[in-house]
Amino acid sequence: MKKTISMLLAALMLFGLTACGSNDNPAASNGGAAPSSEGSNPSSDGGKYLNVMLSTNVMSLDTNLATDGDSFEVIADCIDGLTQMDADGAAIPAIAEDWDISEDGLTYTFHLRDAKWANGDPVTANDFVFAWRLGVETNEEYGYMFGDGVGNVKNADAIMAGEADADTLGITAQDDKTLVVELTAPVSYFPSLMYFPAFYPINEAFYTGLAAGTYGTSADTYLSNGAFVLENYTPGTASLSLKKNDTYWDAGRVKLAGISYQVVGSSDNALTAFRSNTLDLVTINGSQVAAAEEDADLSNKLKVTGAGYMWYLTFSQTDKNAQGGMLANANLRLAISNAIDRESVVDNYVMDGSLATYTAVPPQFAASATTGEDFSADQKKFADYCGYDVAKAQEYLETAKSELGVDSFEFTMIYGNNEGDEVANVAQAIKSQVEENLPGVTLNLQPMTKAERLDKMQNDNYDVALTRWGPDYADPMTYMGMWVTNNANNYGFWSNAEYDQIISDCTVGAYVTDYDARWAALYEGEELVMKEAVIAPLYTKSNANLIADGVTGIEFHPVALNRVYKSASIG
Amino acid sequence: MVKYTLKRVGMALFTLLLIVFLLFVLVRIMPGNPFPSERMSAEAIAAKRAEMGLDDPILVQFGRYMANLLHGDFGNGTSLYYGAPINTVLSNAISNSFRIGGLAILVGTAVGLLLGIVAALNRGKFLDGFCTVFSIIGVCVPSYVFLIFLQYFFSFKIPYFPYFFDANRFLFSSILPSLSLSLFTMSTVARFTRNEMVEVMDSDYVRLAESKGLYGGTLVRKHVLRNALVPIVTVLAPLIVDLLTGALVVEKIYGINGIGKLMVDAITGEGVDYNYVLALGILYSALYIGIMLVVDLLYGLLDPRIRVSAKEG
Repeated sequence: MKKTISMLLAALMLFGLTACGSNDNPAASNGGAAPSSEGSNPSSDGGKYLNVMLSTNVMSLDTNLATDGDSFEVIADCIDGLTQMDADGAAIPAIAEDWDISEDGLTYTFHLRDAKWANGDPVTANDFVFAWRLGVETNEEYGYMFGDGVGNVKNADAIMAGEADADTLGITAQDDKTLVVELTAPVSYFPSLMYFPAFYPINEAFYTGLAAGTYGTSADTYLSNGAFVLENYTPGTASLSLKKNDTYWDAGRVKLAGISYQVVGSSDNALTAFRSNTLDLVTINGSQVAAAEEDADLSNKLKVTGAGYMWYLTFSQTDKNAQGGMLANANLRLAISNAIDRESVVDNYVMDGSLATYTAVPPQFAASATTGEDFSADQKKFADYCGYDVAKAQEYLETAKSELGVDSFEFTMIYGNNEGDEVANVAQAIKSQVEENLPGVTLNLQPMTKAERLDKMQNDNYDVALTRWGPDYADPMTYMGMWVTNNANNYGFWSNAEYDQIISDCTVGAYVTDYDARWAALYEGEELVMKEAVIAPLYTKSNANLIADGVTGIEFHPVALNRVYKSASIG
Repeated sequence: MVKYTLKRVGMALFTLLLIVFLLFVLVRIMPGNPFPSERMSAEAIAAKRAEMGLDDPILVQFGRYMANLLHGDFGNGTSLYYGAPINTVLSNAISNSFRIGGLAILVGTAVGLLLGIVAALNRGKFLDGFCTVFSIIGVCVPSYVFLIFLQYFFSFKIPYFPYFFDANRFLFSSILPSLSLSLFTMSTVARFTRNEMVEVMDSDYVRLAESKGLYGGTLVRKHVLRNALVPIVTVLAPLIVDLLTGALVVEKIYGINGIGKLMVDAITGEGVDYNYVLALGILYSALYIGIMLVVDLLYGLLDPRIRVSAKEG
């Protein structure tokens, strides 16, 4: 008898453990019609689901909380802002049919088209007022984009500092279809800010009808006005799907029946999944690119696109670090910057088509509104201060040695070990190049998580850091704002009154209405940064994508939204 | 038996409380920031820390945490899935890991026992050798290697099973990961069952039973297997916890949103999410302690001598 009981108990224990997990998991299994991950499923109207790889989990679908590119991409699939990106990244009308700008450049009047939310509500000017006030009031990661220096929206800074009420923000709904935005100073790139998710609308009635903290956590708690609606999603999920939104104002343009996203942790797995036709669009790493180029089956499917962000070295210039502030010496920083062979780094260690970069503002994302020329098209313009020239680097080093009265230097370079497959190799390459080309300089490496790296940089507890920055908007200021005295991203604690003045003139001062003069002043500012090697730019990252046969129309951008599928189709 | 049970449960609860406190303190010493940001001002971050109560004395924080915990509330994510309640994310992850792990335990134990019995009954013959080789391979090859192998042949070469986990076809897409996870359990159980049974079969009381005329199924079930089971339950317990708490690499490769992956994300993501690390730490410990408790109680049932000694002690 006891034997039977014990056997039963043991069996029950095992069954119980399996069974306690088998309660239906409503969030993960709702939307029974969701596409499976095996190939592109045809839908009733003939369109297909595009199967796309994401590198990381979607962290949030709330426009005020999201901080990463993958989240932004999915948000933009579902929600349209006032403007949207065209294939070249220029701002074109979306929810705003057109807009007027006052003569002084301080007032934008957006005229909204007849667009609908997926629940049938019209998209109104109030949806923008509500979302912007919420964004400024909660002041999360991208709240700063409303403030002075970027969006210049009236009163945004005061509200974020808790000195004014959210309803004093410079945005008003004149009527349902007319939205007026007031600025403190003209912003030449204002329309292109409007396609960034932080400026998207939220349906107030829908949002306030939800339990706190649940907005954007499932298909039922997310409301689209864009090309796709959320079909199957739960926070933390490794796969999510969207289906075409039939009530979208531009639904005629959308050819896909939906998008099925799959988070893939490793590039090797991504490549096999692509070969097995499980995924139609994947990103591979540098070491796979060479193999893909030689593979007849893959080479014609490879497409290298700009990822936008630039990797660079930053140097702590305070007494606290680097042997009592040695790196405050500009010649020493210039020596390191000129001892690095960037071409060799991108060709031999990054290998995915990334561009060696010699300017403080990377190329590809900011073009002049008057000439259309890329701000950093000319990578030779600072050749005097930044290049690969061992003789010059050693000259700088000798000057630094005599200025500092020291013969040898030993610094530690920190870098993230969870920031991409190639980063550790790049760190090794920099170490060996610097040590080989600069006798007397030792560069120790210290890997850590990105979280730790940022923590150390923010607390000024490092000598040299291998770090990155991606453009938030299509203007050089997204980089140049960082080196202003006391800016939170000025990790070197560099301070230059002339530079601060230029940046101030370009954001709120003399140059805000004179486009070409502003552009020229930005060049001058950049030269100050390069002349003293405040940072050592390394390379501008590319993404190596594999795109399945027959898939066309995916738009790739280095800024704001990396991939847009509104015009995509499967042949 | 009642006293024995109560004593064990009491000890288990005390151990758990101690672990929660240690975890609570350790998590706050970990490097990294619970509010990672490259754009927010220091004041804004300080306000967030204050809002979460991170500036209060640690005992106050711990008291508040325990009060919430007793209501089943693990708090909200800070750097992971911002704003979403941990309970939602966690319950999805637990559901996935438990179902896949549970399936692996069932298959692993059942097949493992069977293999062990077959090997023991055929000691020295071909089947015994086969089981031994199989067990050695199973213990040595990591489950994710086996998964990559299965994925390559049965999702890629012969595309029958899905290449990635699909929550909408749960059972079907659980087969490959469960099978790969079960291999280690299967081999361990087979090896132990075989060795224990061989030992028991050589013992005097089995010889006596045989000489009394008992043979075949009755002998194996009544005398051999029952005595061999105690050590097997002991090795099985930690294996169960391992399988339930998610297999990180397998989850990563197969795209399963499980608790192993969640733990790694909570530590190595953009920031360190205190609440997730704590919630998962508590879950691991509670599971381990809970299973050990069940095992202790099972011993009592399987072997009356353990009960007796507890009574005497």
